[in-house]
Amino acid sequence: MKKTLISLLFTASLTALSAHSATPPNTLVVAQSLDDAISFDPAQGFETSTVQAFTNLYQRLLQSDPAHPVDLRPTLATHWQAGSDNRSLTFTLRDGATFASGNPIRPEDVIFSLSRVIKLNLEPSFVLTQLGWNAKNIDSQLTKTSANQVTLHWDAAVSPAFVLSLLSAPVASIVDEKEALSHQVNNDFGHQWLSSHSAGSGPYQIRRYVPHEVLLMTANPRSPAGAPKLSTLLIKNVPEAATRRLLIEQGDADIARNLGSDQFSALQHKPGVTPVSVPIASLYYLLFNTQSSATLKNPAFWEASRYLFDYDGIANGLLKGQFSIHQSFLPSGYLGALNDTPYTYNPEKAKAILAKAGLTNISFKVVVNNQPPYLDIAQALQASFAKGGVKIELIPSLSSEVTAKMASHQFDATVTSWGPDYFDPNTNAAAFATNPEDGSSTLAYRAGWHIPELTAETHKAVALTDNAQRAALYEKLQRQVQKSSPYVIGLQAHQLIALRSNIKGYQQGMNPDMVYYSQVTK
Amino acid sequence: MVVSAPNSGRSMPVRRLIQRLAGNLFSLMITLLGLLAFTFTLSHLSPVDPVLQLVGDHATASTYAQVRHQLGLDHSLPVQFWHYLQQLGQGNLGVSQSTGQPVANDLLRTFPATFELATCALILGASCGIGLALISIWHPKSWIDHIARVISLLGYSVPVFWIGLLGLLLFYAGLHWSAGPGQLDDLYVYTLEPKTGLVLIDSWLSGDREMFINALQHLWLPVAILGLLSMASITRLLRAALLEENSKEYVTLARAKGASRWRIVWHHLLPNTRGTLITVVMLSYVSLLEGAVLTESVFAWPGLGRYLTNALFASDIPAILGATLVIGSCFIIINALTDALVWLTDPRTR
Repeated sequence: MKKTLISLLFTASLTALSAHSATPPNTLVVAQSLDDAISFDPAQGFETSTVQAFTNLYQRLLQSDPAHPVDLRPTLATHWQAGSDNRSLTFTLRDGATFASGNPIRPEDVIFSLSRVIKLNLEPSFVLTQLGWNAKNIDSQLTKTSANQVTLHWDAAVSPAFVLSLLSAPVASIVDEKEALSHQVNNDFGHQWLSSHSAGSGPYQIRRYVPHEVLLMTANPRSPAGAPKLSTLLIKNVPEAATRRLLIEQGDADIARNLGSDQFSALQHKPGVTPVSVPIASLYYLLFNTQSSATLKNPAFWEASRYLFDYDGIANGLLKGQFSIHQSFLPSGYLGALNDTPYTYNPEKAKAILAKAGLTNISFKVVVNNQPPYLDIAQALQASFAKGGVKIELIPSLSSEVTAKMASHQFDATVTSWGPDYFDPNTNAAAFATNPEDGSSTLAYRAGWHIPELTAETHKAVALTDNAQRAALYEKLQRQVQKSSPYVIGLQAHQLIALRSNIKGYQQGMNPDMVYYSQVTK
Repeated sequence: MVVSAPNSGRSMPVRRLIQRLAGNLFSLMITLLGLLAFTFTLSHLSPVDPVLQLVGDHATASTYAQVRHQLGLDHSLPVQFWHYLQQLGQGNLGVSQSTGQPVANDLLRTFPATFELATCALILGASCGIGLALISIWHPKSWIDHIARVISLLGYSVPVFWIGLLGLLLFYAGLHWSAGPGQLDDLYVYTLEPKTGLVLIDSWLSGDREMFINALQHLWLPVAILGLLSMASITRLLRAALLEENSKEYVTLARAKGASRWRIVWHHLLPNTRGTLITVVMLSYVSLLEGAVLTESVFAWPGLGRYLTNALFASDIPAILGATLVIGSCFIIINALTDALVWLTDPRTR
């Protein structure tokens, strides 16, 4: 009797505590890491989590077409006209468009949004300062030309097509001037308030943000893009990929982002879950610091290294599904991207190149982020280089430590990644193929690689107005870098995500900001 | 004179207690100052550049210099530390670079989550740990003693990260006995009005019984896992102390005089091992309060441990110092409390 009573009590307590899984019907629940988020002000946010949010909180004058990202489509501007000197653009704003606050979208808002980026001078401001804009001249470069028109001028030798690409970047999001200034503190253009609130015209608006915990957005029915299909978007911070997998399996999340290849494989045949591998524009590469030693500066060593990178072993074996082989500095999908893969893993050929150059007993240290997939790739390279007689010592470090060591040139080599800052080939070309020797922190500068001719050609490419000519020049630049440079570009990443099978209408593009939630239904 | 003697006798311990507390407070201040100075120096010795973290790779030299100046990093280390102490004296812990929020607000948000988890885990761990230790000494070297030793060994040796994931897999994904990661289901989490920051109490105060049950569903599994760790250390140390006490002659005499097992435990063994018991339980509490980083990560629990880890990764010096201050204060206060409890309950230590 006593035993029966105890077992009954036990069963009753378990029943009371038993948990049922389901996400609320009108809410899209996304499980991802939010630990990278610093600020939701478009003038500062430059992390994956924040730029993804900007696409859903704000609109720009023009934006990439979600289906064909290379095409820019009018968004808050209905059309635009380049000036005769190719140093200005006049935008006509959409009639009747309003912000979430109900305030109309005016030329003043465009001027306020772009000028505050320059005046606040925070991390993403470099995207717009490429136009020659600075705190002193910005007010004269942006003018209201009529009640619904705004003209942008620039001094830099860049084409209007390139400027349009820059204006489609998240940093060029249009902010409600009246709303932002009503929360201004110490002339900060509303920066502090916008770090955790929104003042845009996107399909959603921030209802609540708790750092490292949750970002809750509610529908903006006034959005010129139309109200989103689901009324609430809840992005919750789940730092562990294994936990994200459990949440999507149980139906406690509708979308789980940034899964590892093991979680992705495990979800392949789970009922109710659709795993999706989205190609993104991040490139993974090995970079040598040419200032570190004569060997690392030797082009024969660079060439041999191209045959010691086990492209296939990593992309199709170790990290299957997470990468594809890519060996040029423009990711597949970008204007002018070179998709040739002339190099394969061949330790014997590498040994022959090194012997011919008289390079023996080579060893160097690779400073690498201690998180997957960086460390996995670095360990694979340690093994593949060893077969070519090259010894690598790995120094696993914090991501911030790797960045600091690269900035101060205190490293031999690193395995790292590069993601584009805006959707234009110049974003990568400027990083890999320019070293202006003026303190600009490009990858060529990090590598100590002096390339005046390549730098001049890259600058020439950005001034071309004809897209075919630009593509041809970028292809030429990629071939040069692919053949001889202190980088071994090997992999293009895929983002592994999982959706519940009832989720429809989700779109994601190749740039970090191209995440579109407004058309999602369930 | 004769009449006044008992009064002065009573006031003596009170005076000594006050003196002791004042001494403890002074040593607390000195220790905290030392801890802050040590953490401050360590943070600045790190190769991570906090300015680069803020301005990014693309910043120009002038932007870099401007932000470095804004953060006060262009002053010498002692001057920077003095400025920090001045701000601290005014109750200002600074603004976190990684969250953009005042550090004090961040700590007020994250500490209650850790406090709730740690306190519940301690209650569970201490109850089970003391129970297992008592069972062990009642039946030494029996099968039940062996089981107790294996459980405590497992709690010591199994990585908490692994056991956390396994727990989620079994009780959340497999058996559905536990709710998922986080403190509440998405249905409730944004309707709860935070009053104390403790989800159990806030959900109880809200009057919504289902929300309270949901909070319990989320809480019990991380509590059980942390409780297992706490139980392991309590069982091992208390069992050893009880076995040693049990082998003493006065216990044999009590047994020979026909004292019952309960009487021996309650009147002889436990009172004579209370010093060890209090110390072990309090140390366990301190280690739980320091923040169970891995458990908090696996269970997406927004606690202090994860906050500090994120701050360390971002080289967010105000957040690192703020969290260190809270953890250091907890450590020192609980140690002082342990000393006071042992002193008050055990006449041999006076």
